[in-house]
Amino acid sequence: MTAARPMGSTVSEGARALWTLTLVLGGAALALVALDSMPTWLHGHPRGVRRAASIEEAERRVQSRVLLPSYFPDSLRWPPSQVRFVVDDGGSVALDFQGKDGAPALLLAQSLASGGAIPDGLQGRPAVIQRQSAPLGEDAVLARVVAEDGTLWNQLEWSRSGRRFLLRGRGSLEDLIRMARSIHGERR
Amino acid sequence: MTGQRWMDFAGQAIFHTLVAALVIEALIRLWGVRQPEQRTGFRLLALGWPLLVVPALFVAFPVREAEAFRDARAIFAGRHWDDLAFLGIGLYGWWIAFMGAAGLGLFLLDLVPWMRARGAQSPPWVARAPEARSAEEALARAAHALRMEAPPLAWVGSGPPILFCTGTRQPTVVISRAAVDLLDGDELTGALAHELAHLERRDPTLSWALMGARALMWFNPGVQVLVRAIARDGERIADERAGTACGDRLALASGLLKLYRATGGGVPASGVGRRPLTAALAEPIARARDHDIELRCRALLEEAPAPVPLARMRLAAVAAGLGFLLFFVV
Repeated sequence: MTAARPMGSTVSEGARALWTLTLVLGGAALALVALDSMPTWLHGHPRGVRRAASIEEAERRVQSRVLLPSYFPDSLRWPPSQVRFVVDDGGSVALDFQGKDGAPALLLAQSLASGGAIPDGLQGRPAVIQRQSAPLGEDAVLARVVAEDGTLWNQLEWSRSGRRFLLRGRGSLEDLIRMARSIHGERR
Repeated sequence: MTGQRWMDFAGQAIFHTLVAALVIEALIRLWGVRQPEQRTGFRLLALGWPLLVVPALFVAFPVREAEAFRDARAIFAGRHWDDLAFLGIGLYGWWIAFMGAAGLGLFLLDLVPWMRARGAQSPPWVARAPEARSAEEALARAAHALRMEAPPLAWVGSGPPILFCTGTRQPTVVISRAAVDLLDGDELTGALAHELAHLERRDPTLSWALMGARALMWFNPGVQVLVRAIARDGERIADERAGTACGDRLALASGLLKLYRATGGGVPASGVGRRPLTAALAEPIARARDHDIELRCRALLEEAPAPVPLARMRLAAVAAGLGFLLFFVV
Protein backbone atom coordinates (compact mmCIF):
# COMPACT_ATOMS: atom_id res chain seq x y z
CA MET A 1 0.00 0.00 0.00
CA THR A 2 1.40 3.40 -0.89
CA ALA A 3 0.77 6.54 1.10
CA ALA A 4 -1.08 9.32 -0.71
CA ARG A 5 1.17 12.26 -1.62
CA PRO A 6 0.32 15.46 0.24
CA MET A 7 -1.21 18.10 -2.04
CA GLY A 8 1.45 20.71 -1.15
CA SER A 9 4.24 18.32 -2.04
CA THR A 10 2.64 17.58 -5.44
CA VAL A 11 2.24 21.27 -6.20
CA SER A 12 5.83 22.09 -5.28
CA GLU A 13 7.08 19.06 -7.24
CA GLY A 14 5.09 20.24 -10.27
CA ALA A 15 6.34 23.81 -9.92
CA ARG A 16 9.93 22.58 -9.66
CA ALA A 17 9.49 20.40 -12.75
CA LEU A 18 8.03 23.30 -14.74
CA TRP A 19 10.85 25.61 -13.63
CA THR A 20 13.44 23.07 -14.79
CA LEU A 21 11.60 22.67 -18.10
CA THR A 22 11.52 26.46 -18.56
CA LEU A 23 15.25 26.67 -17.91
CA VAL A 24 16.07 23.87 -20.35
CA LEU A 25 13.82 25.26 -23.09
CA GLY A 26 15.11 28.79 -22.46
CA GLY A 27 18.69 27.53 -22.74
CA ALA A 28 17.83 25.71 -25.95
CA ALA A 29 16.18 28.85 -27.37
CA LEU A 30 19.23 30.98 -26.53
CA ALA A 31 21.56 28.41 -28.10
CA LEU A 32 19.39 28.38 -31.25
CA VAL A 33 19.38 32.18 -31.50
CA ALA A 34 23.18 32.21 -31.10
CA LEU A 35 23.53 29.51 -33.76
CA ASP A 36 21.26 31.46 -36.10
CA SER A 37 23.23 34.68 -35.75
CA MET A 38 26.60 33.01 -36.41
CA PRO A 39 26.48 33.13 -40.25
CA THR A 40 25.70 36.87 -40.13
CA TRP A 41 28.53 37.38 -37.67
CA LEU A 42 30.95 35.25 -39.71
CA HIS A 43 30.40 36.97 -43.07
CA GLY A 44 30.23 40.40 -41.44
CA HIS A 45 26.87 41.56 -42.80
CA PRO A 46 24.38 43.37 -40.56
CA ARG A 47 21.51 41.27 -39.15
CA GLY A 48 18.71 40.71 -41.63
CA VAL A 49 20.98 40.98 -44.67
CA ARG A 50 21.10 37.67 -46.53
CA ARG A 51 23.27 36.47 -49.37
CA ALA A 52 22.14 34.70 -52.49
CA ALA A 53 24.25 32.71 -54.92
CA SER A 54 22.75 34.49 -57.94
CA ILE A 55 20.32 37.20 -58.99
CA GLU A 56 17.80 34.48 -59.90
CA GLU A 57 18.02 32.99 -56.40
CA ALA A 58 17.53 36.42 -54.83
CA GLU A 59 14.49 37.00 -57.07
CA ARG A 60 13.08 33.65 -56.02
CA ARG A 61 13.65 34.32 -52.34
CA VAL A 62 12.19 37.84 -52.34
CA GLN A 63 9.56 36.82 -54.90
CA SER A 64 10.08 39.91 -57.03
CA ARG A 65 11.95 40.92 -60.20
CA VAL A 66 15.24 42.78 -59.90
CA LEU A 67 15.63 45.54 -62.51
CA LEU A 68 19.01 45.47 -64.25
CA PRO A 69 20.69 48.03 -66.51
CA SER A 70 20.75 47.15 -70.18
CA TYR A 71 23.89 49.27 -70.49
CA PHE A 72 26.83 47.66 -68.73
CA PRO A 73 30.32 49.23 -69.14
CA ASP A 74 33.16 47.00 -70.35
CA SER A 75 35.21 48.03 -67.33
CA LEU A 76 32.98 45.94 -65.02
CA ARG A 77 32.86 42.18 -64.48
CA TRP A 78 29.63 40.23 -64.89
CA PRO A 79 28.04 38.51 -62.91
CA PRO A 80 27.94 40.45 -59.64
CA SER A 81 30.55 39.37 -57.10
CA GLN A 82 27.95 39.45 -54.36
CA VAL A 83 24.15 39.41 -54.27
CA ARG A 84 22.64 40.58 -50.98
CA PHE A 85 19.03 41.10 -50.04
CA VAL A 86 16.67 41.81 -47.17
CA VAL A 87 13.04 40.75 -46.97
CA ASP A 88 11.76 43.39 -44.52
CA ASP A 89 9.59 46.29 -45.76
CA GLY A 90 8.79 44.63 -49.05
CA GLY A 91 12.39 43.62 -49.71
CA SER A 92 15.50 45.20 -51.22
CA VAL A 93 18.38 43.81 -53.24
CA ALA A 94 21.98 45.00 -53.63
CA LEU A 95 24.38 43.80 -56.33
CA ASP A 96 28.12 44.37 -55.90
CA PHE A 97 30.24 44.40 -59.06
CA GLN A 98 34.00 44.25 -59.43
CA GLY A 99 36.06 46.04 -62.03
CA LYS A 100 38.26 44.12 -64.46
CA ASP A 101 41.10 44.59 -61.94
CA GLY A 102 39.09 42.65 -59.30
CA ALA A 103 38.54 45.66 -57.04
CA PRO A 104 35.03 46.76 -55.93
CA ALA A 105 33.70 49.09 -58.63
CA LEU A 106 29.92 49.40 -58.50
CA LEU A 107 26.95 48.94 -56.19
CA LEU A 108 23.42 48.71 -57.57
CA ALA A 109 20.73 48.64 -54.87
CA GLN A 110 16.98 48.85 -55.23
CA SER A 111 13.88 48.49 -53.11
CA LEU A 112 11.36 46.03 -54.52
CA ALA A 113 8.08 47.41 -53.17
CA SER A 114 6.45 50.74 -53.84
CA GLY A 115 7.34 53.22 -51.10
CA GLY A 116 10.08 50.98 -49.73
CA ALA A 117 13.47 52.36 -48.74
CA ILE A 118 16.87 50.74 -49.24
CA PRO A 119 18.08 49.77 -45.76
CA ASP A 120 21.48 50.97 -44.51
CA GLY A 121 22.51 47.36 -44.10
CA LEU A 122 22.56 47.02 -47.91
CA GLN A 123 23.89 50.40 -49.04
CA GLY A 124 26.21 51.29 -46.15
CA ARG A 125 26.68 54.83 -44.93
CA PRO A 126 29.58 56.44 -46.78
CA ALA A 127 30.49 60.03 -45.95
CA VAL A 128 28.90 62.45 -48.44
CA ILE A 129 31.08 65.39 -49.41
CA GLN A 130 28.94 66.94 -52.14
CA ARG A 131 25.24 66.70 -53.09
CA GLN A 132 23.21 68.09 -55.95
CA SER A 133 20.05 67.23 -57.90
CA ALA A 134 20.45 64.84 -60.79
CA PRO A 135 18.74 64.68 -64.19
CA LEU A 136 16.75 61.55 -63.31
CA GLY A 137 13.60 62.97 -61.78
CA GLU A 138 12.49 65.31 -59.02
CA ASP A 139 13.92 63.42 -56.07
CA ALA A 140 17.08 62.25 -57.85
CA VAL A 141 20.28 63.09 -56.02
CA LEU A 142 23.83 62.99 -57.31
CA ALA A 143 26.54 62.86 -54.65
CA ARG A 144 30.26 62.40 -54.22
CA VAL A 145 30.95 59.95 -51.42
CA VAL A 146 34.03 58.56 -49.72
CA ALA A 147 34.25 54.78 -50.04
CA GLU A 148 35.63 52.49 -47.31
CA ASP A 149 39.08 52.48 -48.92
CA GLY A 150 39.12 56.30 -48.92
CA THR A 151 38.58 56.75 -52.66
CA LEU A 152 35.90 59.06 -54.05
CA TRP A 153 32.89 57.46 -55.74
CA ASN A 154 29.88 58.91 -57.54
CA GLN A 155 26.45 58.06 -56.22
CA LEU A 156 23.06 58.40 -57.85
CA GLU A 157 19.79 57.94 -55.97
CA TRP A 158 16.35 58.22 -57.54
CA SER A 159 12.81 56.84 -57.39
CA ARG A 160 10.68 55.38 -60.14
CA SER A 161 7.15 53.95 -59.71
CA GLY A 162 7.57 54.23 -55.97
CA ARG A 163 10.71 52.07 -55.93
CA ARG A 164 14.00 53.52 -54.73
CA PHE A 165 17.24 52.93 -56.69
CA LEU A 166 20.87 53.59 -55.87
CA LEU A 167 23.95 53.36 -58.07
CA ARG A 168 27.37 53.98 -56.57
CA GLY A 169 30.50 53.53 -58.67
CA ARG A 170 34.08 54.57 -59.00
CA GLY A 171 33.81 54.89 -62.81
CA SER A 172 32.83 57.95 -64.78
CA LEU A 173 29.69 59.89 -63.92
CA GLU A 174 28.57 59.61 -67.53
CA ASP A 175 28.60 55.80 -67.34
CA LEU A 176 26.66 55.90 -64.07
CA ILE A 177 23.89 58.09 -65.50
CA ARG A 178 23.73 55.98 -68.66
CA MET A 179 23.34 52.81 -66.58
CA ALA A 180 20.67 54.46 -64.45
CA ARG A 181 18.67 55.47 -67.50
CA SER A 182 19.06 52.03 -69.10
CA ILE A 183 17.46 50.39 -66.04
CA HIS A 184 14.19 51.97 -67.13
CA GLY A 185 14.68 51.41 -70.82
CA GLU A 186 15.85 54.95 -71.56
CA ARG A 187 18.60 55.20 -74.15
CA ARG A 188 20.09 58.56 -73.24
CA MET B 1 7.26 18.62 -53.62
CA THR B 2 10.28 20.37 -55.14
CA GLY B 3 13.87 19.39 -54.37
CA GLN B 4 14.26 22.49 -52.23
CA ARG B 5 11.20 21.58 -50.15
CA TRP B 6 12.46 18.02 -49.67
CA MET B 7 15.76 19.46 -48.50
CA ASP B 8 13.98 21.80 -46.10
CA PHE B 9 11.89 18.87 -44.83
CA ALA B 10 14.96 16.66 -44.32
CA GLY B 11 16.86 19.49 -42.63
CA GLN B 12 14.00 20.30 -40.28
CA ALA B 13 13.33 16.62 -39.51
CA ILE B 14 17.00 16.14 -38.55
CA PHE B 15 17.32 19.39 -36.63
CA HIS B 16 14.01 19.06 -34.77
CA THR B 17 14.93 15.50 -33.73
CA LEU B 18 18.30 16.66 -32.42
CA VAL B 19 16.81 19.53 -30.42
CA ALA B 20 13.91 17.41 -29.11
CA ALA B 21 16.24 14.53 -28.18
CA LEU B 22 18.77 16.82 -26.45
CA VAL B 23 16.07 18.65 -24.48
CA ILE B 24 14.45 15.35 -23.47
CA GLU B 25 17.72 13.68 -22.46
CA ALA B 26 18.62 16.76 -20.38
CA LEU B 27 15.23 16.63 -18.66
CA ILE B 28 15.48 12.86 -18.04
CA ARG B 29 18.69 13.52 -16.15
CA LEU B 30 17.60 16.71 -14.37
CA TRP B 31 14.27 15.24 -13.28
CA GLY B 32 15.94 11.94 -12.31
CA VAL B 33 13.69 9.79 -14.52
CA ARG B 34 15.10 6.30 -13.89
CA GLN B 35 12.14 4.05 -14.54
CA PRO B 36 12.59 2.60 -18.05
CA GLU B 37 8.85 2.84 -18.89
CA GLN B 38 8.90 6.56 -18.19
CA ARG B 39 12.15 7.04 -20.11
CA THR B 40 10.59 5.28 -23.08
CA GLY B 41 7.59 7.60 -22.92
CA PHE B 42 9.82 10.67 -23.14
CA ARG B 43 11.98 9.18 -25.89
CA LEU B 44 8.93 8.17 -27.92
CA LEU B 45 7.95 11.84 -27.87
CA ALA B 46 11.30 12.76 -29.44
CA LEU B 47 10.97 9.90 -31.92
CA GLY B 48 7.45 10.92 -32.91
CA TRP B 49 8.55 14.46 -33.63
CA PRO B 50 10.10 13.95 -37.08
CA LEU B 51 7.55 11.28 -37.98
CA LEU B 52 4.38 13.14 -37.07
CA VAL B 53 4.94 16.73 -35.97
CA VAL B 54 7.36 17.90 -38.69
CA PRO B 55 5.14 16.65 -41.58
CA ALA B 56 2.10 18.19 -39.82
CA LEU B 57 3.92 21.53 -39.52
CA PHE B 58 4.77 21.42 -43.22
CA VAL B 59 1.16 20.72 -44.20
CA ALA B 60 -0.63 22.97 -41.71
CA PHE B 61 1.74 25.97 -41.65
CA PRO B 62 3.20 26.68 -45.10
CA VAL B 63 3.82 30.23 -43.86
CA ARG B 64 6.85 28.85 -41.98
CA GLU B 65 8.57 28.29 -45.32
CA ALA B 66 8.28 31.92 -46.42
CA GLU B 67 11.43 34.03 -46.44
CA ALA B 68 9.71 36.65 -44.24
CA PHE B 69 9.07 34.04 -41.52
CA ARG B 70 12.68 32.86 -41.69
CA ASP B 71 14.07 36.36 -41.30
CA ALA B 72 11.58 38.02 -39.00
CA ARG B 73 9.96 35.34 -36.85
CA ALA B 74 12.16 32.25 -36.72
CA ILE B 75 14.67 31.94 -33.89
CA PHE B 76 16.72 29.59 -36.06
CA ALA B 77 16.65 29.15 -39.83
CA GLY B 78 18.97 26.50 -41.25
CA ARG B 79 18.98 28.26 -44.63
CA HIS B 80 20.78 31.22 -43.06
CA TRP B 81 23.83 28.96 -42.98
CA ASP B 82 23.61 28.76 -46.78
CA ASP B 83 24.92 32.35 -46.77
CA LEU B 84 28.30 30.71 -46.13
CA ALA B 85 29.43 28.38 -48.91
CA PHE B 86 32.17 25.80 -49.39
CA LEU B 87 32.95 24.58 -52.91
CA GLY B 88 29.89 26.45 -54.14
CA ILE B 89 27.50 24.63 -51.81
CA GLY B 90 25.95 26.31 -48.77
CA LEU B 91 26.98 25.06 -45.33
CA TYR B 92 23.38 24.05 -44.58
CA GLY B 93 23.48 21.77 -47.63
CA TRP B 94 26.78 20.30 -46.42
CA TRP B 95 25.33 19.77 -42.94
CA ILE B 96 22.27 17.94 -44.31
CA ALA B 97 24.53 15.77 -46.50
CA PHE B 98 26.81 14.93 -43.55
CA MET B 99 23.91 14.13 -41.21
CA GLY B 100 22.18 12.12 -43.95
CA ALA B 101 25.34 10.04 -44.43
CA ALA B 102 25.64 9.53 -40.65
CA GLY B 103 21.98 8.46 -40.45
CA LEU B 104 22.35 6.03 -43.33
CA GLY B 105 25.54 4.61 -41.79
CA LEU B 106 23.83 4.02 -38.43
CA PHE B 107 20.83 2.43 -40.17
CA LEU B 108 23.00 0.10 -42.26
CA LEU B 109 25.08 -0.79 -39.22
CA ASP B 110 22.04 -2.61 -37.85
CA LEU B 111 20.23 -3.48 -41.08
CA VAL B 112 23.10 -5.38 -42.74
CA PRO B 113 23.79 -7.81 -39.83
CA TRP B 114 20.02 -8.29 -39.41
CA MET B 115 19.56 -9.15 -43.10
CA ARG B 116 22.56 -11.46 -43.00
CA ALA B 117 21.13 -13.23 -39.96
CA ARG B 118 17.78 -13.65 -41.74
CA GLY B 119 19.53 -14.99 -44.83
CA ALA B 120 21.59 -17.50 -42.84
CA GLN B 121 20.20 -20.99 -42.30
CA SER B 122 18.56 -21.09 -38.89
CA PRO B 123 18.77 -24.21 -36.70
CA PRO B 124 15.68 -26.42 -36.89
CA TRP B 125 12.96 -25.74 -34.29
CA VAL B 126 10.86 -28.52 -32.84
CA ALA B 127 7.46 -27.63 -31.41
CA ARG B 128 7.14 -30.44 -28.88
CA ALA B 129 10.37 -32.15 -27.89
CA PRO B 130 10.48 -34.67 -25.00
CA GLU B 131 13.85 -33.29 -23.82
CA ALA B 132 12.36 -29.77 -23.55
CA ARG B 133 10.42 -30.73 -20.44
CA SER B 134 12.55 -28.79 -17.95
CA ALA B 135 12.34 -25.71 -20.18
CA GLU B 136 8.56 -26.08 -20.47
CA GLU B 137 8.25 -26.35 -16.70
CA ALA B 138 10.38 -23.23 -16.24
CA LEU B 139 8.28 -21.44 -18.86
CA ALA B 140 5.09 -22.40 -17.02
CA ARG B 141 6.59 -21.08 -13.75
CA ALA B 142 7.60 -17.82 -15.45
CA ALA B 143 4.16 -17.44 -17.07
CA HIS B 144 2.47 -18.07 -13.71
CA ALA B 145 4.68 -15.43 -12.08
CA LEU B 146 3.71 -12.93 -14.80
CA ARG B 147 0.05 -14.02 -14.66
CA MET B 148 -0.12 -14.74 -18.34
CA GLU B 149 -0.68 -17.77 -20.53
CA ALA B 150 2.49 -19.57 -21.56
CA PRO B 151 3.13 -19.27 -25.30
CA PRO B 152 4.36 -22.27 -27.34
CA LEU B 153 7.99 -23.23 -26.81
CA ALA B 154 10.22 -23.93 -29.82
CA TRP B 155 13.10 -26.28 -29.03
CA VAL B 156 16.47 -26.20 -30.75
CA GLY B 157 18.32 -29.42 -30.00
CA SER B 158 21.80 -28.42 -31.17
CA GLY B 159 24.07 -25.43 -31.56
CA PRO B 160 25.00 -22.54 -29.26
CA PRO B 161 22.87 -21.15 -26.40
CA ILE B 162 19.77 -19.51 -27.86
CA LEU B 163 16.96 -17.80 -26.02
CA PHE B 164 14.64 -15.27 -27.62
CA CYS B 165 11.02 -14.54 -28.32
CA THR B 166 9.51 -13.98 -31.74
CA GLY B 167 6.23 -13.70 -33.58
CA THR B 168 3.84 -10.82 -34.01
CA ARG B 169 0.67 -12.89 -34.44
CA GLN B 170 1.84 -16.21 -32.98
CA PRO B 171 4.23 -15.41 -30.13
CA THR B 172 6.79 -18.11 -29.48
CA VAL B 173 9.74 -18.51 -27.15
CA VAL B 174 12.73 -20.19 -28.78
CA ILE B 175 15.25 -21.94 -26.55
CA SER B 176 18.13 -24.30 -27.23
CA ARG B 177 19.46 -27.26 -25.28
CA ALA B 178 22.73 -25.37 -24.70
CA ALA B 179 20.86 -22.51 -23.01
CA VAL B 180 19.00 -24.92 -20.69
CA ASP B 181 22.27 -26.67 -19.85
CA LEU B 182 23.98 -23.33 -19.18
CA LEU B 183 21.45 -21.88 -16.74
CA ASP B 184 20.32 -23.19 -13.36
CA GLY B 185 16.61 -23.45 -12.53
CA ASP B 186 16.12 -19.90 -11.15
CA GLU B 187 18.24 -18.33 -13.89
CA LEU B 188 16.25 -20.17 -16.54
CA THR B 189 12.91 -19.10 -15.03
CA GLY B 190 14.16 -15.48 -14.82
CA ALA B 191 15.46 -15.49 -18.39
CA LEU B 192 12.20 -17.01 -19.70
CA ALA B 193 10.20 -14.46 -17.68
CA HIS B 194 12.26 -11.76 -19.39
CA GLU B 195 11.22 -13.11 -22.81
CA LEU B 196 7.59 -13.41 -21.69
CA ALA B 197 7.70 -9.79 -20.53
CA HIS B 198 8.72 -8.87 -24.09
CA LEU B 199 5.74 -10.80 -25.46
CA GLU B 200 3.42 -9.27 -22.87
CA ARG B 201 4.42 -5.79 -24.15
CA ARG B 202 4.17 -6.97 -27.79
CA ASP B 203 7.82 -6.03 -28.28
CA PRO B 204 8.25 -8.15 -31.46
CA THR B 205 5.53 -6.03 -33.13
CA LEU B 206 6.99 -2.85 -31.65
CA SER B 207 10.45 -3.74 -32.98
CA TRP B 208 9.00 -4.00 -36.52
CA ALA B 209 7.36 -0.61 -36.07
CA LEU B 210 10.64 0.86 -34.86
CA MET B 211 12.48 -0.68 -37.81
CA GLY B 212 9.88 0.90 -40.10
CA ALA B 213 10.49 4.28 -38.44
CA ARG B 214 14.24 3.84 -38.96
CA ALA B 215 13.71 2.96 -42.61
CA LEU B 216 11.47 5.99 -43.15
CA MET B 217 13.97 8.27 -41.42
CA TRP B 218 17.12 6.57 -42.76
CA PHE B 219 18.73 9.99 -43.23
CA ASN B 220 18.09 11.08 -39.65
CA PRO B 221 20.86 10.09 -37.20
CA GLY B 222 18.79 11.32 -34.25
CA VAL B 223 16.05 8.80 -35.07
CA GLN B 224 18.61 5.98 -35.43
CA VAL B 225 20.11 6.75 -32.01
CA LEU B 226 16.70 7.23 -30.36
CA VAL B 227 15.40 3.88 -31.62
CA ARG B 228 18.46 2.18 -30.16
CA ALA B 229 17.86 3.92 -26.83
CA ILE B 230 14.18 2.85 -26.89
CA ALA B 231 15.22 -0.74 -27.66
CA ARG B 232 17.61 -0.63 -24.69
CA ASP B 233 14.77 0.71 -22.53
CA GLY B 234 12.65 -2.22 -23.77
CA GLU B 235 15.27 -4.64 -22.44
CA ARG B 236 15.36 -2.81 -19.10
CA ILE B 237 11.56 -2.89 -18.86
CA ALA B 238 11.54 -6.64 -19.50
CA ASP B 239 14.32 -7.07 -16.90
CA GLU B 240 12.35 -5.12 -14.31
CA ARG B 241 9.10 -6.94 -15.05
CA ALA B 242 10.77 -10.36 -14.89
CA GLY B 243 12.83 -9.49 -11.81
CA THR B 244 9.80 -8.14 -9.94
CA ALA B 245 7.48 -11.00 -10.99
CA CYS B 246 9.93 -13.81 -10.19
CA GLY B 247 11.31 -12.08 -7.10
CA ASP B 248 14.91 -13.10 -7.82
CA ARG B 249 16.64 -10.22 -9.55
CA LEU B 250 20.09 -11.70 -8.85
CA ALA B 251 19.27 -14.93 -10.70
CA LEU B 252 18.09 -12.94 -13.72
CA ALA B 253 21.27 -10.84 -13.72
CA SER B 254 23.37 -13.98 -13.45
CA GLY B 255 21.47 -15.69 -16.28
CA LEU B 256 21.76 -12.59 -18.45
CA LEU B 257 25.51 -12.45 -17.94
CA LYS B 258 26.00 -16.17 -18.60
CA LEU B 259 24.02 -16.04 -21.84
CA TYR B 260 25.85 -12.92 -22.97
CA ARG B 261 29.26 -14.48 -22.37
CA ALA B 262 28.27 -17.80 -23.92
CA THR B 263 27.08 -16.11 -27.12
CA GLY B 264 30.41 -14.35 -27.63
CA GLY B 265 29.40 -11.07 -26.01
CA GLY B 266 32.18 -8.51 -25.81
CA VAL B 267 34.40 -10.34 -28.28
CA PRO B 268 34.28 -9.02 -31.86
CA ALA B 269 33.44 -11.80 -34.32
CA SER B 270 36.44 -13.51 -35.88
CA GLY B 271 37.58 -12.12 -39.19
CA VAL B 272 36.35 -8.57 -38.66
CA GLY B 273 39.89 -7.39 -38.03
CA ARG B 274 40.86 -8.08 -41.63
CA ARG B 275 39.13 -4.98 -42.90
CA PRO B 276 40.23 -1.69 -41.31
CA LEU B 277 36.74 -0.09 -41.29
CA THR B 278 34.90 -3.08 -39.82
CA ALA B 279 37.67 -3.56 -37.25
CA ALA B 280 37.41 0.10 -36.28
CA LEU B 281 33.63 -0.19 -35.92
CA ALA B 282 33.53 -3.63 -34.26
CA GLU B 283 35.51 -2.64 -31.18
CA PRO B 284 33.44 0.35 -30.05
CA ILE B 285 30.22 -1.56 -30.79
CA ALA B 286 31.41 -4.51 -28.69
CA ARG B 287 32.41 -2.09 -25.92
CA ALA B 288 29.01 -0.39 -26.05
CA ARG B 289 27.27 -3.78 -25.77
CA ASP B 290 29.50 -4.70 -22.80
CA HIS B 291 28.59 -1.41 -21.16
CA ASP B 292 24.92 -1.96 -21.83
CA ILE B 293 24.94 -5.44 -20.27
CA GLU B 294 26.88 -4.07 -17.31
CA LEU B 295 24.26 -1.35 -16.79
CA ARG B 296 21.42 -3.88 -17.00
CA CYS B 297 23.10 -6.17 -14.45
CA ARG B 298 23.83 -3.23 -12.14
CA ALA B 299 20.20 -2.11 -12.37
CA LEU B 300 19.05 -5.63 -11.45
CA LEU B 301 21.37 -5.69 -8.45
CA GLU B 302 19.70 -2.52 -7.15
CA GLU B 303 16.09 -2.00 -6.15
CA ALA B 304 13.54 -1.35 -8.86
CA PRO B 305 13.65 2.40 -9.68
CA ALA B 306 10.75 4.47 -8.40
CA PRO B 307 8.69 6.43 -10.93
CA VAL B 308 8.91 10.22 -10.90
CA PRO B 309 5.64 11.83 -9.84
CA LEU B 310 3.41 13.74 -12.29
CA ALA B 311 4.88 11.91 -15.26
CA ARG B 312 1.95 12.64 -17.60
CA MET B 313 1.93 16.32 -16.70
CA ARG B 314 5.67 16.48 -17.38
CA LEU B 315 5.26 14.72 -20.71
CA ALA B 316 2.44 17.06 -21.75
CA ALA B 317 4.46 20.10 -20.65
CA VAL B 318 7.51 18.92 -22.63
CA ALA B 319 5.36 18.32 -25.73
CA ALA B 320 3.78 21.78 -25.45
CA GLY B 321 7.12 23.48 -24.77
CA LEU B 322 8.87 21.73 -27.63
CA GLY B 323 5.92 22.48 -29.91
CA PHE B 324 6.18 26.17 -29.16
CA LEU B 325 9.98 26.28 -29.44
CA LEU B 326 10.32 24.21 -32.61
CA PHE B 327 7.53 26.03 -34.43
CA PHE B 328 10.06 28.84 -34.77
CA VAL B 329 12.88 26.57 -35.93
CA VAL B 330 12.87 26.22 -39.72
